Amino acid sequence: MAFYTLGLTFLIVIALTVVVLAIWICGLYFNFKKWGIGSTGYQDELRHSFWLFVATWIHEAFKDGIWVFIRTLILDVFLLRRTLRRSPTRWIMHMTIFYGFLSLAALSGLGLFMDIIEHYDLLGLTPQAEMVKDAMQLPFDIFGYILLFGSTISVARRLLLKDVRDNTTSYDVILIGGVFLITITGFYAEWIRGNAFLVGDVFANPIYAPHFALIHTVLALALFAFILPWSRYIHVIAAPLTILANRGGE
Amino acid sequence: MADNNEKPLISGYLMSTQLLELNGCVRCKECMNWCPTYAVRPDRPEITPMYKIAKLRELLDSQYGLKAKLFGPKPLNEGEMTKYTEDSYYCSTCGVCGNVCEAAIKTVELWEAIRPNLVARGNGPYGKQSFFPKLVRADRNPYQAKQEDRLCWVPKDAKVEESGKISYFAGCTAAYRQQALGVATVRILNALNIDFCMLGKDEWCCASAMVRTGQRPVMKENAVHNVDALKDRGVETVLYACAGCLRTASIDWPRWYEGYIPYKNVPLSVYLREKIRNGEVEYKRPINYKVTFHDPCHSGRHIMHEVGRDWAFEAPRDVLKSVPGLQFQDMVRSREFQRCCGAGGGVKAGIPDLALDMGAKRVRDAEETGSDIIASTCPFCRRNIMDGRNAIGSPLKMLDEVEIMAQAMGLDVTIPENPYTKYQEQDTIVCEDVCKLETVTRKAPGEDIVGEAH
Repeated sequence: MAFYTLGLTFLIVIALTVVVLAIWICGLYFNFKKWGIGSTGYQDELRHSFWLFVATWIHEAFKDGIWVFIRTLILDVFLLRRTLRRSPTRWIMHMTIFYGFLSLAALSGLGLFMDIIEHYDLLGLTPQAEMVKDAMQLPFDIFGYILLFGSTISVARRLLLKDVRDNTTSYDVILIGGVFLITITGFYAEWIRGNAFLVGDVFANPIYAPHFALIHTVLALALFAFILPWSRYIHVIAAPLTILANRGGE
Repeated sequence: MADNNEKPLISGYLMSTQLLELNGCVRCKECMNWCPTYAVRPDRPEITPMYKIAKLRELLDSQYGLKAKLFGPKPLNEGEMTKYTEDSYYCSTCGVCGNVCEAAIKTVELWEAIRPNLVARGNGPYGKQSFFPKLVRADRNPYQAKQEDRLCWVPKDAKVEESGKISYFAGCTAAYRQQALGVATVRILNALNIDFCMLGKDEWCCASAMVRTGQRPVMKENAVHNVDALKDRGVETVLYACAGCLRTASIDWPRWYEGYIPYKNVPLSVYLREKIRNGEVEYKRPINYKVTFHDPCHSGRHIMHEVGRDWAFEAPRDVLKSVPGLQFQDMVRSREFQRCCGAGGGVKAGIPDLALDMGAKRVRDAEETGSDIIASTCPFCRRNIMDGRNAIGSPLKMLDEVEIMAQAMGLDVTIPENPYTKYQEQDTIVCEDVCKLETVTRKAPGEDIVGEAH
C-alpha cells in the first residue's frame, strides 16, 4: 500500500480521492456555466445557462449526424489529425503525452480499485487483485516511457529550437515542466519501490518508497484537479470539446 | 454573474460554443505562421488570432471568471478595450487561421461574432467602416450611386431579361466601378445563348461589409429584399462573378431570411466550366500570357465546406486552363492556404495602409511564378491587388478570369459610356490582332468615401 505514510490511512486516501474528483467536477461545472453565458445560435440572445451550453454543444457536435461525430472523435480527437497535418514532430509529442498520461491515469485508477478489493477482501478476490497489480507493472513501465519520451520532446523543443524557445512563456513552462516533473517523480517512485519491470529492485528503498509515491500522487492530482479546470490549462478539456462541436473544423 | 459595467463586454452574438473556443486554443502558434496581417506587421503579435483569443479570454475572465465570481467583476479598462478593438479590426477575416488551427476553432465566425459586441459597446467599427451602414441605407450601395443606374453599363445590343430561371447578380462594384467585369459576363452569357435576368434597381448591396465589420442590423433589410426580389422573378439559379456577394448570399442571407429560399447560388466559374465541358464555348483567339490565380477568401475558404473543394478551388482554374495559349501557374500559397490580398473584413476601408501592404505581399507571391497576369474572381481582391501592385511598381496586371475568357471568345467587351465611366480604374486586356494588357486610369479620383465595400 504505497500511500500509507505520513499518517495517511486507506480511508483517508479514499476520502481525498473523492474530494479531488469533486473539485475537478466543480471546476468543469464552473467552466460549462461560464461558456453557457453565450447564445444558442446566430443572433440569439445571451443565455447564462449550464444546461443550454450542454444542449448547444450536443446540437453542434451532432449537426452533421452521428457518423461525422464518430469520424471526428476518432480522426481529430483520438488521432489528432489536425496536428499531424501541421507538424509530425508535434504530433508525436502530443500523442505520446496524451496516451501516456491517459493510460497511466487509467492504470492508477485500476490500481486504486485493486487496493479497495484487497482492503475489504471483496468477494474473496484479494489474491486475484494482487495478481492484477503485479501484471500492471509492465504497462505502467511502458506507458511511463511513452510519456517520458513525449515530455522529453516537449522540453527539448523549448530548449533547442530558437523559434519555440523565443515564444515560450511561463504558461508553457508550468505545464510542460509540471508534466515532466510528474513523469520523473513517477519513475523514481516506481524504482525506489523496487517493482519497476525493467529496472527491477536496483534502486529499491522500502523506507522512502511511500514518500516518493505520495509526492508523485500529490503532484499529479494537483495538476488534475486544482490547476487544469481552474486555469487557462482548461484547454486540455476545451480543445477536444471544440473539435467535436465544430465537427473537425475548417 | 453579470457585468457591473454600463457597457458589458458581451451583449450577445457569441454562441456558447464560441466561448468554449476561447478556452480551446492550444497556443500552438500555427495561426501566427499563416496570418497575412501579421506577415506585414511582424512587430504586432497582438493582432494574431492566438493573442486576440487570449486577450478576450482574459477580459471575459475578468467579468465571469473565478475571481470575478468571488470578488465581483473588474471594471473594464476603456483604454484596454480601445486597444483590443484595434487589434480585432486588424484582420481581414480571411480564415486561414481557422484552416490551420489544431483546435479546429472556426475563426471567421468567431471574429464576426466578437465585432458586433465591440460595436454595441461603442468601440467598433474602425475608421471609415462606420460609413457602410449609412451609405447602404441611404443608397442601397456603398458608392453613393443611383439604383436606377445599376444596369447603365449593359451594352444596348445585349439581351437581359426582366425575369427568368437564371439570374446574374452583378454586385455593386461590377455595376459602378469595374464595369468591364459586368460587360464581359453579360457578353459571355449572351454568346452562350443563355436567357438570364438581372435585378436592376432591385439589386441591393449584398451587405457583406456590414457583417464582416460587426454592423449587422442593415443586413436583414438587404438580405430579405434581395432574396424576395430573386424569388419574385422565379429565379432557380443565381450566378455570381463577385466572391463577396457569393459568400454573403450563400452563408449570410439564409441566416436572416426566415422563409424558404428556392434558388441555388452558383459561382459563375462553375457554370462556365460546365458549358466548356459540354463543348458549348468556342474560343476564337489565343491569350498568349502566363497567368496565375488568386483564390478569393470569400469564394474559396469561406464556402468550401458548403460547396466543396471542386467548386471553390478547381472550377476557376479549369476555366483558365481551357483558354487557348494561356499558360497557367499556381502560386506557392494557393487554394485553402492562399494568402489573403487584404481587402476583406473592412480592412480596405478601415485600415488602408494595412490593406495596401497585404496587397503588395500577394503581388510578390505572384511575381515568384513569373506570370504576366494575376487572375481572380473577386472585384475587391482585384482592386486591392492593383493598389498593391501600383505601390511597389510591379509590371503584373490584374484581371478577372471572365474578362480573359470573353477576349478569348472574341467578344466585344466595350463598356458603353455612362455616368460612372470616369470612375473606372482597372487593368484590361485589349485584343485586336494580338492581345495587349493595359490599365484604364480613373478620371475622377478620390470620389469614393469608403473605397471597396467588403
